Amino acid sequence: MRGARQPEYGRLQLLRGLILLVVIVLIGRLWQLQMITGEQYRLLADRNRLRQVDVTAPRGVIYDRNGEILARNRPSFSVVVIPGDLPKEPEGQPEGAGDAIVLDRLLAILSRPVEDLGATLETPVPTPTAPPARATQATPTPSVMAIPERQPWVMPRAEIEEKIELGRLGGAYQSITVARHIEEETAFLIAEDTVNLEGIQLVLEPIRDYPSGALTSHIIGYMGHIPETELEEYEAKGYEQNDQVGLTALEAAFEDALYGKPGRQTIEVDVHGRRVRTVGEPDAAVPGHNLVLSIDMNLQQVATESLQETLDASSGFTKATQGVVVAIDPRDGKMLALVNLPSYDNNLFTKGITTEAWAALTSDTDLPLFNRAISGRFPPGSIFKIIVSAAGLEEGVITPRTRLGDGFDGSNDGVIWLPNEYAPWDRSLAQSFVSWNAKYGYGHGMITVRDALAVSDDIFFYELGGGYPNRYTGLGSKKIGEYARIFGLGEVTGIELAGEVDGLVPDSRWKRLNYAENWLTGDTYNMSIGQGYVLATPLQMANATAAIANRGYLWKPQLVDHITDDQGNVVRPFEAVLLRQTPVDPSLLDVVREGMYGAVNWSNGTAVRVRVPGVIVAGKTGTAEFARDNNKDGQPDRDDKGNLPTHAWFTAFAPYVNPEIVVTVFVANGGEGSSVAAPIATKILQAYFEENPSAEAGK
Amino acid sequence: MRLLFSRRFDWYLLTLVLLLSVFGVIMIASALSGNEVLASWPWRQAGFLGLGLVLLFITAAVDYRLLATVAYPLYLLLLAFLVVIAVIGTVAGGAQRWLTLGEFLLQPSELTKIAVIIALAHYLSTRKERMESILTPIGALLLLVPAVVLIYLQPSLGTALSVLVIGSAMLVVSGLRVRHALLFGGAGLAAAIPAWRFLLEDYMKNRVLMFLNPSQAAAADRYNVEQAIIGIGSGGWWGRGLFRGSQNQLHFLRVRHTDFIFSVTAEELGFVGAVLLIALFALLLFRLVHIASVARDTFGMLIVTGVTAMILFQLLVNIGMNLSIMPVTGIPLPFISYGGSALWTMLIGVGLCESVMLRHKKIGFDA
Repeated sequence: MRGARQPEYGRLQLLRGLILLVVIVLIGRLWQLQMITGEQYRLLADRNRLRQVDVTAPRGVIYDRNGEILARNRPSFSVVVIPGDLPKEPEGQPEGAGDAIVLDRLLAILSRPVEDLGATLETPVPTPTAPPARATQATPTPSVMAIPERQPWVMPRAEIEEKIELGRLGGAYQSITVARHIEEETAFLIAEDTVNLEGIQLVLEPIRDYPSGALTSHIIGYMGHIPETELEEYEAKGYEQNDQVGLTALEAAFEDALYGKPGRQTIEVDVHGRRVRTVGEPDAAVPGHNLVLSIDMNLQQVATESLQETLDASSGFTKATQGVVVAIDPRDGKMLALVNLPSYDNNLFTKGITTEAWAALTSDTDLPLFNRAISGRFPPGSIFKIIVSAAGLEEGVITPRTRLGDGFDGSNDGVIWLPNEYAPWDRSLAQSFVSWNAKYGYGHGMITVRDALAVSDDIFFYELGGGYPNRYTGLGSKKIGEYARIFGLGEVTGIELAGEVDGLVPDSRWKRLNYAENWLTGDTYNMSIGQGYVLATPLQMANATAAIANRGYLWKPQLVDHITDDQGNVVRPFEAVLLRQTPVDPSLLDVVREGMYGAVNWSNGTAVRVRVPGVIVAGKTGTAEFARDNNKDGQPDRDDKGNLPTHAWFTAFAPYVNPEIVVTVFVANGGEGSSVAAPIATKILQAYFEENPSAEAGK
Repeated sequence: MRLLFSRRFDWYLLTLVLLLSVFGVIMIASALSGNEVLASWPWRQAGFLGLGLVLLFITAAVDYRLLATVAYPLYLLLLAFLVVIAVIGTVAGGAQRWLTLGEFLLQPSELTKIAVIIALAHYLSTRKERMESILTPIGALLLLVPAVVLIYLQPSLGTALSVLVIGSAMLVVSGLRVRHALLFGGAGLAAAIPAWRFLLEDYMKNRVLMFLNPSQAAAADRYNVEQAIIGIGSGGWWGRGLFRGSQNQLHFLRVRHTDFIFSVTAEELGFVGAVLLIALFALLLFRLVHIASVARDTFGMLIVTGVTAMILFQLLVNIGMNLSIMPVTGIPLPFISYGGSALWTMLIGVGLCESVMLRHKKIGFDA
């Protein structure tokens, strides 16, 4: 039968061949795609659907020693529009009417003034493991420049509509930020009105909040965008370009500890970029560590207030606008208070500082951003005498009973005459050196080192430091410098704040290099009373005082007591760092301490105002002359009696036996240390001993 | 009903067709899963299938030899339809291919293919003694021209091409002489150049150019093919699982339920599933060729050849497009892609083949 078939039936073989060919080609190609290059396409498919997203780690909180919060996180609300989720226009209305209804409503809420929204609510981000915080008192902060905060930003309507149009063309599900940093009450209104605001979402972004503001801004610092120069460094550590980092003070110094580790999770998205689900186990975010400072906010506040009062009360030639208070625990170097005025409100930086605010802060001649406690170089004046005393005693230049001073030249008047080195016989060429008491017309006579410290007799220290021709050999500038360095001057203390300066301990070489002049005995005289070229930071002077108070231990001052993780476990306990033990015999340091005791407790002392009921205080006043030229006449300013302006200093420790606190007060251009700086210390010591009744105090 | 119990009804063919169609409904369900608006479409496709099976049986019941008498009128009727929709047809997707019938859209160009097959089979079977003359194949081509032109004007290049291919296949099988074939091939090539310059629309040129040189194509054009390839490639041996393909379920792949349904299959069911699908098609096609070879007469043989060519061409072009070895044309995968008109066309075609099979030459013992 087959043979009888017509020829066209044979052509069906062609069709069979064609079918076979098609099947082979298709399967071959399928094999190639799925089996040979399959892995590659699997990766491409995963790249399509999987996104790595960061989970932000909450930044560490900063507490004072009593658990009061100094820095925390709070939510800032932004509003975004998602064009793809906006409602369709209602039946019979033109295209875009749906958008308009929602935008009308949203903009109406955003433009409502905040006063209408009722009482301000305070709802910080809950910090579950926070140590029990005391109820935050309404803290009167130091007077700072009134700079308005960054206002909520809302995109103009026309721009929003334009962005929505653009969004519809491209990614309709990409969010468009239309308002930033809106008030919390406004955010609540939007959250409540979700039903009518289809396509609108609230976005929470954590920002920093500093409850203590200007009170602690020089300790805490502020945050901001990563500086361009450090971007690479930070990116290597896993930061994103838009991340905020600590820029100053502890926020910067402890950036690594506070930052934590952001988590990552993989999410699956659809073609519009909408999240479908989370894939796999997320790499959880590790919250930043918390800092617990040794700072006592009570003390910090009292110190700030009393310093501020003093600044406010000053006027005339001694109008003071800048000052520092440092309080240290002399037993281990823990900082109890660190006040620097004028201050600024670091909350100005939390939403990104405005250009106007930055300009205002940086153009102020009182430099509110400048921490003069660690970066200011000032003549220490008479409080430097405690170091010179210790040096003289240890070097054997004097004994505790050695009497030096005024009156050997026939007149006990607070003035000595240093003969000219090249014409000692010519009294008319002799240079006069006066003690502060000369203007009152009396001298202290020949006295021991204790008395000299108590009454702050300059003549005694001129002679101790520089000697007197044919009568007495002094320490000399080299030895004074050596001991100044032993007590921490001329080097940074190493406190956890950036920008610390080392001050200046001059010597003859330094003077030759800088002034092209020889070092003269007169220079040593000046140096002996903390004048002339000696410069120190208030923190250095406080730390030197602590080393005398604790009989020879120079500790590194530290602000951070310990660091805890988010569960409250201590991850870094406090560790006192001994910079050095002074080579001065403790019994000789006791002599210096007795002198400081006398200054406060003897009737002829310079600091009798510092007596605190129930506690024995010892201290040393300082009134350091400096040259300024405010009237710009090319000559140093002088008051009507011809005196140079002075910085007021006072440094003290208490209790006298087993000291627990060192307070150093510095008021720039403040006038007399005894009348201006000492009363501030009194208030601080009172506050401290009210809070910490001392067992030794009654003795 | 006698028909259904006839020993001669080809249950094997029907089983293959049913397997493919049900396979299609499942893949459509997967491609449309998560889409609330189109959630009912897999069920609609199942409904089309039910209705289409009725059409298949009706077609099978009718003696195909009777169709010879209505071959030309039927062809003219369909051509008339094409003219009508060119005038009043609903515009969809930039092309006038649809005729609204109540809620449904009818695509007469699909059914035109059946009319072309019957008309051409009739024409060629009555002139098999005159194949020596070049006039016979020229006449056959002239017969195709109105259908090709009208469908091309819709515009639907793919369907117009498929009509040409079906016609060519029938011509070849019916004994086209080699010299004539060479002549037509040369003429076709010569016509291709003016056709490219004057006849093809820009989007069609783009698709061909993109196929020839993928990097030249616009991003939007490349997107579909790239995503289809990614879906297929990531399928591996066993696939990502039905309803689990990320390219499909997360909508990276577009026109999933029609043009790119093979990509969904390869992604979710893997190499095994895709080869199974192609194997089903192969069995179906070989069965059809077998039916053609046992047909009682040339008319029947050519009808089956036409249907075979139609299925084979669409299979090659659609899967080839998914696999990026063919240009992008809107040709659906037979029995699988969503669409009532296309499915009915296929099922009517199969019905014709069943009709040929039912009445094939008696080789057995029953007289």
